[in-house]
Amino acid sequence: MPVQSKVWRHAYRWDLDKTYLDTRFEKFSELVRIPFQGAEDKVNIPGSAALLRELSRSAEGQPDAFVSIVSGSPKQLREVLEEKLSLDGVSWHEFHLKPQLRNLRKGRLRAVKEQIGYKLPLMLASRASLACCPRETLFGDDAEVDAFIYSLYADLLTGRCGFDQVDELLSHVGASAAAKRDVERSLLKLEPSLSEQEPVETIFIYLDSGSPPALFEPFGSRLIPVFNYYQAALVLFARGHLDVRSVLRITAAFLEADRCGPWELANLFQDIARRGHLAYDAMENLALAIQDEGLGSETEQVLWASARRMLDLGDLATSQLEAQQEVSDYLQLLTQFKEAQRTIHQARSERVPESSGPQA
Amino acid sequence: MDEPDKPARIALDCMGSDRGPQELVAAAAHLSLRREDIVITVVGDGQVIGPLLDASTYDPRRLSIRHSAQWVHPEERSREELERKEDASILVCCQMVAEGQADAVVTAGSTGAAILAAERTLGRVPGVRRTALAAVTPTELRHGPKQDPFALLLDVGSTVTVSAEDLVTFAVMGSAYARIISDNPRPRVALLSNGAESHKGPAEVVEAHALLQNMEGIEFIGNVEGLDILRGTADVVVMDGFVGNVVLKMIEGFGEVVSDLASDAHGRKFLWRLGLNMLSSGMKEIQSLLDWESYGGAPLLGFTQPVIKAHGRSGSRAVANACKVAAKVARSDMAATVERAVCQFPRQGQGTR
Repeated sequence: MPVQSKVWRHAYRWDLDKTYLDTRFEKFSELVRIPFQGAEDKVNIPGSAALLRELSRSAEGQPDAFVSIVSGSPKQLREVLEEKLSLDGVSWHEFHLKPQLRNLRKGRLRAVKEQIGYKLPLMLASRASLACCPRETLFGDDAEVDAFIYSLYADLLTGRCGFDQVDELLSHVGASAAAKRDVERSLLKLEPSLSEQEPVETIFIYLDSGSPPALFEPFGSRLIPVFNYYQAALVLFARGHLDVRSVLRITAAFLEADRCGPWELANLFQDIARRGHLAYDAMENLALAIQDEGLGSETEQVLWASARRMLDLGDLATSQLEAQQEVSDYLQLLTQFKEAQRTIHQARSERVPESSGPQA
Repeated sequence: MDEPDKPARIALDCMGSDRGPQELVAAAAHLSLRREDIVITVVGDGQVIGPLLDASTYDPRRLSIRHSAQWVHPEERSREELERKEDASILVCCQMVAEGQADAVVTAGSTGAAILAAERTLGRVPGVRRTALAAVTPTELRHGPKQDPFALLLDVGSTVTVSAEDLVTFAVMGSAYARIISDNPRPRVALLSNGAESHKGPAEVVEAHALLQNMEGIEFIGNVEGLDILRGTADVVVMDGFVGNVVLKMIEGFGEVVSDLASDAHGRKFLWRLGLNMLSSGMKEIQSLLDWESYGGAPLLGFTQPVIKAHGRSGSRAVANACKVAAKVARSDMAATVERAVCQFPRQGQGTR
């Protein structure tokens, strides 16, 4: 049966660089090396591969979730990236890479860097091609404008944002006429399935560049900034996407790459709960599930530490974010978001130098 | 702390400082990104702290919040306030340490409240009757094998009225602190008086002088005068809390006045401006020496666990340095060292826990 005709339980869309793969570099030589790395040299963001593996399989171990990857990496890297995903044991149904060489050859320098006019048409076309309309969860990072693209995509699927608005926006970012046509065509196809029921359930933004979570508040409660995929796994457990064994496998993979003790895990639990993305009953449900499974003492230690941290929050543990609010002007939102990103970047580079006090 | 590899857990009281919780939250966020050996629990009103944290870059693995809706305001009477506010942030911090959830307390709030909260929850080292607030001050001469340009002053505000035995205890505690924190194996200890002679000064200073002279394990060099403090004749200078607080504030004020005078002169005459520009590197050195924000807070000595008092006007840099000091003290066996030293002194009364 063709992929598009299948009935999918859920759709997961992933970005690759800085969301799934750790492509940070500190020296220019490291940047130059990235395109020449083999699959085995590519490094995952801790827990990303385990999370994607767990999400794409059902309780019976069969893949019943639609997985789409839209990356800004050049098409020339397809072979090595596909090999990397295979090495990770990840299966996918769509894998889009950017035609960077073609953009360069045609002198479209703006298109090399621009992401909205590249990702949005692809995501809409992908959605329009599916016979069923599963709910979606999207994964991106804070390095560029994933938060913006995903939020716009989500609002287009609800009908809260229309073609006129997106057309103006695409013109503003210098998207090609073909991209605009593709968006219009997909939106026409999607019109009968537009739903106010929030087809995009959650947008996870991995804070690779260390942005403050408050930067993403204008995008509403649908978007969850996460410091790592342990936090994402907790939210996805609470929302019924993962069972307790999956959470533990993701945690183990996360711990393998990121040295953390029970207290650090408890702090991560508290952080995501304090920001309103995890209710207190998620803690209770996790405890019950762990009890049912009869898991070991280390797990219990983490659980106790997390429970302690939840108690530390007092009344704050019960506060939940408000429902998704409407964005009235996407162009303004984009301008403000980019400005805020720039300000944060500048502030970070002007950070107060470390002091060398006598006793420090 | 028994395991040296484990991170030091700091309970940071975020409330009650002059500049508000934002400076303390900024310090905690900064340390969470830079120091893997320190884990901070930010204690205070979560409704205020949460949004401040969300607007910062931080690493949640090394930072958590302990919500406490009450705190002691600096202008309020600490004793009554602490009686009334069972959930006061400083009290919660000290309780966390007492219950083993944290290794040290750092506060920029009321000194009185910190002392009372620590008295109530942590207790004093056996043998210590009164606690002392110690602060470092820049000096002309260098100290110890590391050539530190700082001397330790105590008490600078914890105990206003002291006995000779209290002064001796302060000397013991100051000496132990300098040994551990400044890595100075034999710190020179002196009493502050109005003359170098042993009979000069108030009765308790004269008596303390006699006791210290015969005490083993302390490098007692006798009395020093006010001018010797900044000269750096002693590594540890002992005095009562009233005099100590006046001395400390005067030194801080002196630094600020020098800086203000220089900037005033800079704008008045071209020749002065030229002269100041020529002296700028030297001026900067003096300013950096007098920059109290880099000193890392003042430890409250005599409690069973580390309590570090940062200046009420502390900015994020000063708070971050105070946390680093707290971590260093937490990793040492400070309380045990003080206890051992105090026990050598036979006339000392018993401390309370």
